Amino acid sequence: MARRKAELDVVGRSQPRLDGPEKLAGRSVFTDDVVLPGMLHGRIVRSPLPRARILNIDTSAALRLPGVKAVITHADAPKVYVGIEQPLFRKDIVNYVGDEVAAVAAMDEATAIEAARLIRVDYEPLPAVFTMTDAMKPDAVQIHAKAKGNIAWAQSRDHGDVDATFAASAHVRTDRYSTPASHNCYAEFHSVVADWSRPDKLSVWTPTQTALLFQKAIARALGLTDGAVRLMTLHTGGGFTGRSAARPHHFIAPLLSRKAGRPVKIRMTGDEEFIVCRAGGEVQYRFRTGISSEGLIKAFEADLTFDTGAYVESQMIVLILTAAYIHTLYKLEATRYTGKLIHTNNIPYYFHHGGGIAQMAFGLGLHMDALAREVGMDPVDFHLRNAVTKGHTNMTGTFFGSCGLKECITKVTKKAGWKRKYGKLPPLKGIGLGIGAMASGAKGVFKHDTSAAFIKVQDDGTMSLFIGLPDMGQSSHTAMAIIAAEVLGAQPTDITVIAGDTDVTPLDVGAFTQRGTFNTGNAVKAACLDARQQIAVTAAGILGVKPARLEFRGGKIYPKGEPEKSLPFRKAVYDTLHSREGRFVMGRGFYNSPKETGTMAFSFGAQVAEVTVDPVTGMVTVDRVIAAHDVGRAINPRIVEGQIDGQIFSGMSQVLYEEMLLEDGQVMNPSRLDYKLPRSHEMPAVEHIIVETIDPFGPFGAKEVGEGPIVCTLPAIANAVANALGVPINDMPITPWHILRILGRRGPAGD
Amino acid sequence: MDQHFITLTVNGDSHRVPVAVQDTLVDVLRNKLGLMGTKRGCTSGSCGVCTIQGEDSRAVLSCLALAIEWDGRSLTTIEGVATPAGLHPVQQAFLEFGAVQCGACTPGLIMTAKALLETNPSPDEAAINEALAGAICRCTGHIKVKEAVRQAIRRMAATTEDADGAPQG
Repeated sequence: MARRKAELDVVGRSQPRLDGPEKLAGRSVFTDDVVLPGMLHGRIVRSPLPRARILNIDTSAALRLPGVKAVITHADAPKVYVGIEQPLFRKDIVNYVGDEVAAVAAMDEATAIEAARLIRVDYEPLPAVFTMTDAMKPDAVQIHAKAKGNIAWAQSRDHGDVDATFAASAHVRTDRYSTPASHNCYAEFHSVVADWSRPDKLSVWTPTQTALLFQKAIARALGLTDGAVRLMTLHTGGGFTGRSAARPHHFIAPLLSRKAGRPVKIRMTGDEEFIVCRAGGEVQYRFRTGISSEGLIKAFEADLTFDTGAYVESQMIVLILTAAYIHTLYKLEATRYTGKLIHTNNIPYYFHHGGGIAQMAFGLGLHMDALAREVGMDPVDFHLRNAVTKGHTNMTGTFFGSCGLKECITKVTKKAGWKRKYGKLPPLKGIGLGIGAMASGAKGVFKHDTSAAFIKVQDDGTMSLFIGLPDMGQSSHTAMAIIAAEVLGAQPTDITVIAGDTDVTPLDVGAFTQRGTFNTGNAVKAACLDARQQIAVTAAGILGVKPARLEFRGGKIYPKGEPEKSLPFRKAVYDTLHSREGRFVMGRGFYNSPKETGTMAFSFGAQVAEVTVDPVTGMVTVDRVIAAHDVGRAINPRIVEGQIDGQIFSGMSQVLYEEMLLEDGQVMNPSRLDYKLPRSHEMPAVEHIIVETIDPFGPFGAKEVGEGPIVCTLPAIANAVANALGVPINDMPITPWHILRILGRRGPAGD
Repeated sequence: MDQHFITLTVNGDSHRVPVAVQDTLVDVLRNKLGLMGTKRGCTSGSCGVCTIQGEDSRAVLSCLALAIEWDGRSLTTIEGVATPAGLHPVQQAFLEFGAVQCGACTPGLIMTAKALLETNPSPDEAAINEALAGAICRCTGHIKVKEAVRQAIRRMAATTEDADGAPQG
């Protein structure tokens, strides 16, 4: 591994996650484990039809059922909106299979289920539309009056003189790709507990990537002030980008609670989980690239068409975020992007793991690989010739203060034996390269992108670190404890992380756009420097030196270079607190990117995948994946490896297996038995290469590893399969059926 | 709904619990006995998060087991794995190898791995894969989980040898 700065003590040393023992012993509390006195169970009544007029809703039989404490419909929440043209409950037209029509709360789950069944809704079926192609036809059903031609939203942007640069290119290639509707398959199902029994305070427990955005969305929808909503994040069973916006159940549970005057829990069933998740919808991509005769990419154009489903909740961000990533890998002279969101009568979609970017990388990686081959270049040489470097400012104005892209490509292809293998493997064996970049935080949701932190130092030398950053499994809390420990010369185990209670913990936009390590890490560092300064005043007095000369390390404080004159950290804290002034040690800090919009740093990566295709079954076996990632600095190396592993799993899963199959808007495979994910025996051998480029703006040089790796996995495996078959691949997932069709087209396959 | 009393021994403690005929073990453990360590997942046997161990140490999907059929039987849940002295070797290996991330599937994975090692102390790669095939974990991608299981096998084998008084160099 790279430069290890000698002055770092705990940063860069693998630390088991601090919440591990609790999770391993079954003592960690998730939302479904929350039981409050008098708590009721809620159930949502959903449309069974993709598009229909509601003729009548009869709740009388449900209300008569013993144990039912509240029934709500549109009449109870006429002004509550959860998206554009999306009232919380439908009054007249339902627009997808799963659309919310009513909800009940009862003494127990069985009664709630029975009550939901007793709510009688009469519908008049209406024509519906399920594919983007059909939705864009001139005579198509108009799903929303304001979305003409079913175009929910469109955006386009040029950088540079696009047409002239294409015209001047020596070679231009155009390709089309598609990625399917998908689902995140969280281990923890969507759930919420809401207590609005007190009219002036609503408490909500739910898994989330951002307590702040949920708090604001719930407050706005229900007509409350932000401070009247207390959002509590317990352990969150996976995020994968999908838990960064509130969903209808987050508003329904509070309304049921208000009506019943008791807390209400709603937890999704297996089928519902696939509807509520709002993972990725189908996307169609068209890429056009112009290169010079030397193989330098000059102009790039991307046209992206997203199925956004029945409503627009916050899907504009899907398009904006994805589009930003056409600028991150190559030095370009001109770019054009056009994008649109299309309404269909499918589920309202949002994000799958990789946030649109990984899915785009599937096609982008195949396109660039095909382009390189077309002009007779090895893809590795092609990427190396065009890769961005440190000090580059891209066309959107992002400065790359650190960049290990070329180093990642070089190291990973060397370890894979690329030169030895590429173009020389036996039939049906393939090797592929995938490269990627990922932002560490992105300003744009608000004017700020702030994370704040407090640290309270106790008189025994232990500390409580207060942050608003959720931990969905990425071990962000342990990373924050490591950063705090480094600044204060303590051990991570000296620190208790208190997070995810908006009444207690400080402002934090949340754990998405890979902002946790970078933004909250910088905030924690600032808070701990503040606390250190307070303690240093006391220590300096005892040691007779200036505070600025003091070093904090290994539980001791000493003048720089003179560890023999040390004072225990604990004593300095004790003396500060127990002085005549009684100075309480509490550090506070925050970080907000100084930029107007966008990110301060990108991480980079490259992966090589090797695959074998079985010509009889059409199955693809991924034999090996080697992953090199420039994470800036690995705060906790073993956890960094774990992040890479999980993303290789998820990337492989998406490119080879995952597809939500819909028929007339109905999910046909809403279970883990029918929605394929890799099983243990299908996972390849994975090798990690951690590249440390020490970012100038990140905490101790760290960037991100939350989604950078998955962006590389999809193109690496897709290119390896294309390499094994010797034919283009344009659609994922690359299922056995897909492979057999390709092989069939080529005639009998070789052995 | 009709309630029937059953006797269930959980982690060595005997309970007399009223259950409805349709109650599954996961419902009874969580809602009647307050043992929230066994997580509720898909409730259809496809995700593995609710795994517990029966008397014969085998892994059981508690969401598919009708409680009434367990009258008079005993089982082990995640709460019965660690002792006041510390974590079980399987849990310890998961911790050290970073095989726990979000933690929602972790209790089920621990029970699955423990059941494997207690029914087959020296499983080969295929046996490990087969045992873990019923558990799905997007966070870890199973990679560190398998490393942890292999470590637990080594450690438990060493402990057994120590107990036999014949440690091998």
